[in-house]
Order: sequence, then structure tokens, then C-alpha cells
Amino acid sequence: METKRRQLAAIVGEDNVLDDPKTLEEFSSDESLCEPLRPWFVVKPANESEVQALVKWANATATPLVPVSSGAPHFYGDTVPTATEAVIVDLSCMKAIKRIDRRNRIAVIEPGVTYSELAPALAKEGLRIPRPLAPRANKSVVASLLERQPTTIPRLNFSLPEPLRNCGVVWGSGELAFTGEAGNGPLNLEAQWQRGLAQVDGKGPLATDLMRLVTGAQGSMGIVVWASIKLELIPAVRSSFFVPNAELSGLVDFIYKLTKVRLGDETLLLNRAKLAGLVEPQPAAARKLREALPEWVALVGLAGTALLPEERLKVQEKEFRALVQEFRLTLCGGFAGVSRADVVRLIDGDAGDHPPTLAAKGASQDIFFLTTLDKASGLIETVRSVAARFDYPWPDVGIYIQPQHQGVAHHVEFNFPYDPDDAKEVARARDIYLEASAELVDQGAYFSRPYGYWSELVYQRDASSTEILRTVKQIVDPANIMNPGKLCF
Amino acid sequence: MEISRDAYRAIEDIVGPDNVTDDPAFLDSYAFEWLAELVRPNRSHYMPRPWAVVMPASTREVQAVTKVCNKYKIKIKPISTGWYHWAAPMKDDEPTVQFDLRRMNRIIDIDEKNRFAIVEPYVICAQLQAEAMKLGLNCNIIGAGSSTSVVASACAYFGGGPSSHYMGNNSDNLLGQEWVTPAGKVVRTGSLSSGAGWFCSEGPGPSVRGVTRGNLGSRGGLGTYTKCAIKLADWPGPAEMEVKGRPPGYRLPIGENFRAYTIGAPNWEAWANCYYAIYDNGLGYIFHRQLNLAGANLATALWLTYIDPTKTLNDVETLAKDPEIIAINETARISFQLILAAQSIDGIQLQDKILDEILSQTGCYRVERYCEQDMAEFTNMYMQRLGHKHCNFIWAGGYMGSWMQAGTPDFVKGYVPTAIKGFEDDQQSHLLVECGGDALMGCGSTLGGGGYFGLEQFVSYDPASDASIDACIKHMEDAIADCVAQGIPLGKEQLYLQIGWTDQRIWDGMAKAPQTFVLDFQRQFKDAVDPNYLGDRNYPWLPEKWGEAPAPAQAK
Repeated sequence: METKRRQLAAIVGEDNVLDDPKTLEEFSSDESLCEPLRPWFVVKPANESEVQALVKWANATATPLVPVSSGAPHFYGDTVPTATEAVIVDLSCMKAIKRIDRRNRIAVIEPGVTYSELAPALAKEGLRIPRPLAPRANKSVVASLLERQPTTIPRLNFSLPEPLRNCGVVWGSGELAFTGEAGNGPLNLEAQWQRGLAQVDGKGPLATDLMRLVTGAQGSMGIVVWASIKLELIPAVRSSFFVPNAELSGLVDFIYKLTKVRLGDETLLLNRAKLAGLVEPQPAAARKLREALPEWVALVGLAGTALLPEERLKVQEKEFRALVQEFRLTLCGGFAGVSRADVVRLIDGDAGDHPPTLAAKGASQDIFFLTTLDKASGLIETVRSVAARFDYPWPDVGIYIQPQHQGVAHHVEFNFPYDPDDAKEVARARDIYLEASAELVDQGAYFSRPYGYWSELVYQRDASSTEILRTVKQIVDPANIMNPGKLCF
Repeated sequence: MEISRDAYRAIEDIVGPDNVTDDPAFLDSYAFEWLAELVRPNRSHYMPRPWAVVMPASTREVQAVTKVCNKYKIKIKPISTGWYHWAAPMKDDEPTVQFDLRRMNRIIDIDEKNRFAIVEPYVICAQLQAEAMKLGLNCNIIGAGSSTSVVASACAYFGGGPSSHYMGNNSDNLLGQEWVTPAGKVVRTGSLSSGAGWFCSEGPGPSVRGVTRGNLGSRGGLGTYTKCAIKLADWPGPAEMEVKGRPPGYRLPIGENFRAYTIGAPNWEAWANCYYAIYDNGLGYIFHRQLNLAGANLATALWLTYIDPTKTLNDVETLAKDPEIIAINETARISFQLILAAQSIDGIQLQDKILDEILSQTGCYRVERYCEQDMAEFTNMYMQRLGHKHCNFIWAGGYMGSWMQAGTPDFVKGYVPTAIKGFEDDQQSHLLVECGGDALMGCGSTLGGGGYFGLEQFVSYDPASDASIDACIKHMEDAIADCVAQGIPLGKEQLYLQIGWTDQRIWDGMAKAPQTFVLDFQRQFKDAVDPNYLGDRNYPWLPEKWGEAPAPAQAK
């Protein structure tokens, strides 16, 4: 072990190799119910060269590596080692914003850059990035995109990985290679920029889409050392609306129409518990607030960007109001305790150091998957029946539905708050998670991001595609040193 | 190489005697391919003749025939609608079964609410578009036109077209996918692999589609795609196109919530600025540089002739010398087509105002003659349906597209002068159609949302003339030399020419690529899913250690 320590220190420097019990403890578990396992070291590389040296060292010493970019808390078990003797590769120090290309609206950033760090840098250029809903302050932009976390503006979501475009990857083999358009050019970003290349096109290179092989991979294919991201203009004027309804089913056709005609920027659905939890951090106040809220709310942001922004907003509002009327819904600018300002904070801000899902009871068991919106109500009923089976109070369950890929796919997320210090509540949350997941997958819920137990559920359903993924893994990480034990590897 | 008749018999048993043939007359109809004369010995119009042609009707039949091919080590080359010479078998000495997928021609479903269609390989864009429009939906039609296979563009080729700017590239529109590997395994991607339906192409976990669908696709070199789901976009027009006019210059009336413009620019700098402003402002249902394919000096004469039922192609030469036409040519020399669409009258009027502002800021303008009703309606028809692909061949029966390197508008603007001068120089041979140096055309964006595209130089040549064919080949070689001299990545001409090269020559070039990771990856992946190497080099790979050692390893 000491030999390994010396070797790691030779790569990243003595100060960047951590093995004190507190640090190791922090990385040995997370907010999920996955089995804890202590890593041997946490290392903090500063650049691409050090990352590449680490991967080569890991191959030489058969040491598992677990890449981590975001700060704690972590949620889904993907950053907790599954194999013994693992080294956590903490990329949070790689914080360079390498380039912001205003004309082509592309930023190139390292994995340690968080949403809260990127936003002000982009704002200076009049730019922004489509974001997930209320990310925690230390959430890595690159990690979020690699994990295909949903973003809130479906009309911009031409593909699920959007706005992720190109990546620089140190693959498990130790080889550095770029994905997409960048994979055709010299293996040097500055040299590409000098030739007028801007890392815009995510496809390729050639007949392979390498970016698609690192997204959703939970760090099992390689380590992303930079990523290019498509940016959007900051709106000059905005407005946001709530469309409440007692039943989700009453909002389904309305959302379908909105996403079809690409009217609106932020478009999402929240149940009352989720909305209350997002805007009110105090548990007691959130419980009180939710009683005053409608069961379901569609939250829609309109924006005027670029030329003639006020007129754009005016036309959008007119069309939006007409649609609300067409679907016999009502429109409101807020509720008691939930204002338009809260919406802007949710959309543009971050959740600080305390993720809202943990506020109610200190822990949350999350279940999320993709489906089409017409199936969402049925799948929610499935979860409700499982919750009832375990006497879980349904009003406490937060539900968030996010249209993605311009409204073709929908992220459906449940948050089950529980007390992590109460063994009965922990067991109940686990039972609900296991039982609901199994029933959901049987009913057609698609666990596209199969963390933990979900990987067993999805990979056993299709041997052919699983075999293909294992072939890919064998090629890019032949020694299986990248986060072994995750997914189907 | 002699193949046992047992193989033919086995295939016949699977698809029935009416659906397999080795009749030379039929086989040669598959070998006869556009561009063949540019790469084949003696300027032959024929690519290698297939050993047999089979027409499977289902995934099961594709799989079964693929297994027979593995047993007898016969190469596989699927074709749906085909485009370019590489749709044919690659080598004369490699017996190949051409899978003609025309019997797999069903639109299996259009999910109106969730806006996707599930199609088989012989469903063409025009067919899907017509059905989708009845539901207020539309599909991205690729640059090769509406008679092309949806599955081919989504799964196996490029996927960009005039509407990609708004509707997305078909690579991103690709949802669930069914793939018969060269080894004969059936693989389903994305949500389909979980039995959750066709709506999502990503995951579970890393996306299997990453190995089936990169930038260019595997072009028939990595098995057969037997079904896919494709994302559809909204269509704010009528349920059926109300086409007017007489052939060939059909017109599509412009609805009150549509506009059809040709936008001109005084120079390429202004053109790029206008492009970026359109990108930032999110304008455009269709955005394309189409009409310039006829060449900047001939375009106006051609299109005004084309839409005038009293004129024929013979009138073009006279018309092109008309000073009034020459003046119009100059206003349209640096131009592109832009179709606007909105959900409301307010919306389209606002888009007009925004466009006015952009034109005012950039010095660009609407090309008046092209925006008059007759030309605007013709432009609308051409762009909305993209059914005029015969116009690609209109001058002399053959054309070849050089350049087409994709990139940002500024990047493309950078190579345009070289592309124009190179074509002007090569026209001095008088063996290529002399249409002006700028016959550059291409999509406004090959990526959904805009910001990325390429321009392809339409070089028209006479495929019946050896001298003209040679002049075209010389132009291709000149374009490559220009790229090398200026450090510009090579364009489509290289891709075309490579079809006639030996493996060794191709691999020597690949070994010098700035990054060979993906070529090595594809070799290893091919080893796994195509152990008998039945797919051709349209799915490219680099033999292990090729170019590294004095004596290269033996390639398969």
C-alpha cells in the first residue's frame, strides 16, 4: 500500500494523495442504499497528463479507478467503489474554462467546473447553458451531462446528451482520444482552434459515436478531461407561468402540444410535494405550503432572446394563452408562497449545498426512469400502489416530470424522503425502491441510467445489447480498471 | 472464388425462389452505379457484380440469410434505396450477396402523440412525409432527396438535410433501432432493448447506438438495419400538399403562416454574419443553399427555364446571355434559400421583422426575382419535398460533389475561395460543365438548432465521355492537393476516390491520421461482431500496428 502511495504521489504530488480516514469515509458511501466500500486513496489530478499517467499506472498495478467530478453529497452509488483497493480520481480541481466561443456558442470546460462557476463566466458573453432543475452548487457540469441528467428546456434538446458535444477522454486503456468532430483533428485543442475547428459536432468520428460510449457509463469507460458544450443566448425578457390541475392526465395533451410546437423555454411538471420542497427549504413550512398548492403544476417559462425580444415574448404569450384556453386549463402567475421569482431562482440558480430532496427528512430514495408522457400516469399509479403496500405516506412523495428530446421522451422522478437514522424507515425506503423498480420495468419504464439495482433489471432483459456493451468495454478498458462492478461490467 | 451452389439453395429455401437471383442481367442492374466510372478500370459504369441478389421480407429472413453467408463466407452488402457507388459490392474477387431490402417497405406505426414513426428500410422520406403531414407532423428529408430510405439515413449514412436546422439530423432523430450484425445476431438499441418501446435511443448506460451510428454511419459495412424509429417534427401546414403547376416545375403555394425566400449577400463575410444572426435568432424551418447547385453563372437561366412550361433546356444557353438574367445572377451569386414557418400570423410577421433586421444589419437582402411568386412557390416545393434530385444530373448526366468539409460558418467561409478558384481553373479544360466557379450547395445546418454545415461543389461532367470523366478525376485530385496545401481536412472527393483504391493504399493513409483510436476501435469491434469479415470497408478499420513496423501485420 505504501508503494502505491509513493507511486501516486509521483504522479499528482504528495499533497494530492489523500488516505486519511475521514476522506476515505466520505467516499465509501453516499446517499443511496448501495453497499459501502472504502477506497484506498483519493487522488486529485490537476490536468490531462496526470489523469493519463494515473490510468496507465492503474493498468500496470491492476488498481480500480473511480472518477468523481462533483462535490458531495453523491446520490446513486456510481461514485462508491464496488471493487476493493480502489482509488478515487477526484477531478474537482480541474476547473479550467478553456474557451468560450461566443460566435459559435461553444464552451470548452474541464470536469471540475460547476454550474455555479460556469454561469457567471458565460453571462459576461451574454450566454447561458441549459441546466438541470436546481443543481447543487458543487455539481459538475460535465458529470451532469455525461450522466444525461435532464435539462429543463426541451425545445433545445435535439438529442438526450445535448448540450454535450465533444469530449477529450483518457480511455481505460490509457490512450487519450477525442470524440466527435474533435476526433478527426490533431490531438490538441489549441491546434484545432488555430485551424478554425470549434468542437461543435458531437457525432463520430467515422462510424462510431464515441461520445455516446462515455455518456451514461458511470465512469466505466474512461475519464473525460474536457468537454465542449453548446450554449444559448441569455434572454433579454422572460416570463413564467403556472398551469395547475388536479390530475396529471389533464395536463398531458397540453404538454404534448407545447413541446410539439416548441412554445416555451422551461417546460416541466411538478406535483405539489416536489414544488413545495423546491421553493421552501424548511420541512415544516414545505409541508404547510404543499397543502395550499394544486396537486399538479405545469411550469412554463417564456423568453425573448436576440432581436426584438419584447415582441417575441408578446407573441409567445398570446399563443401560450390561446393554448391554455384550448385545453380548458387555467393560468396563474403564482400561488401563495410560490412566486415567479421562485421559479426564476429554480431555473437559473442552484440549490446551494443542501439538495432539496434531502431537506424533508435527511435522506431520499429516488426512483427515476424515462417513458412517454401518455404512460406516465399509469406508472405513477404503480408506484403509488407499491408505496401504499408499505404504508408510505403518498403526499410526501415528490414527483417531477421533465420532457426531453423535444417532448418525445420524459424523465419521471420520484423522491421518497426518509430518516436515515431510523432503521425502519431505511428498510421501507429500500423495499419500495426494489419492489417499485421491478414492477416499473415490467410495465415498460425505461431505466436508461441504470444505477445500482437497476442495472440488474435492465441488462438481464436483453443479452444481445449487453454483449455489445461488454465488447466495447473490453476494447476501451481491457484490464477493467475503470469503475469495475458497475452496469454490466 | 467459386461458391458452392448449396449456398444459393440455402438462401432460396429462406426467401423463396422469386426473391433471390444470380441472373447476370439482374446482377448488373445492381452493379450499374453513379460515380463508378470515376473509380473503375477502363472507366466502367459498373461496380463489381454481386454474386447474388436476395430480397428478404423480414428481420428473420435477413438474419437467416446472414447466417448462410457466414457459413459459406460470402460477403454481405445491404442496400435500401442506394446513393453513390459504394452501395454496390466493393471488390471483383469477393463474392457478395446484395441484400435488396425493397420488400421491407412498411410504415409500421406513426405515434402521433409521441411524434415518432417506426419504419422498415424501404420506406422513403416522401412516403413517410406524406403520411406524417396528415397528422400535422413532418420528417427531416436528407440532402439526397425524398426518394431515399429513412432507415438508411438514420442508421447507416449521414442524415443531414435542408430541414435538419429545425428538425435535427437523422442521427439525433434516430430512436429505437433493430440491427442484424454481420454475424447474424439481432441487436436492439435504447429503450427497445428493455422492451420499453421505440422512443429513446440512448442507454441503458452507455448507448449501443454509439457503435452503430457515428458521423457517417457504416454504409452497409456492418450488417443490416431492419427497422428504426425516427423522431418527427411539427408541420404547421395543410394535411396534404396542394401542389400546383405543370411538370417539372411544380409549385407549392405559400401558406399565410409560411414564407419562402432566397437571401443574397454582397460577399462571403456578410453571408457568414447573416448565417450567425439566423443561428442566434433561431429562424428557419428550412435553411439550405440549393439553387446554386446549377452554378452561379447558369442558375437563374436554368430555374426560370425549368418553371416555364414553354421553355426547354435548350433555351438555357441563350437565356444565360441575357443581360437581365446576368444581372439577376449577380444578386443571387452568394445566396441561400430560407423557408420560414410559424404557428400563427403574428408569429410569421414577427419572423419577417426579425429577418428584416438581420438583413439590415448584415447588408444582405432578399433576391427579388427569386422571391416573386413563381420562383418562391417553386422554391417552396423544392425545399419542402426535396423531390427534384434529378436536377443534380441535369447538365450532362453526371455530377460529383467535391469539398463538403463540415464546420462552423467561419470555417466554411475560409475554404470557399479555394473551392471556387479550383473549380474555375478546372473548367478551363472545357471538359466540365462551365457553370461558373461557384456551384457550392449544402444544408444550412447538419445539426439541429444550427451552427454547423458544409458546402459541396457540384461538378457536372459527361459520364459518356472519357475525356470528361478524366477531367472530373483531375478536379478531384486538384481539390485534394488544394486541401493538403492549405491544411484543410479532405472532402468528399477523397471519399469517392477511395472506393477504387487498394486496401493497402487506404490503410497507409489512415495510419497517418491525427488520431487512429477510432480506427483501432473499429477493427477490434469488427473482429467481435463480424468474425468472418463479411462486411466491407465502408465500415473502415486499420489493421493492428499498420504503419508502425517495417513489415505490416497480415490484414484480414
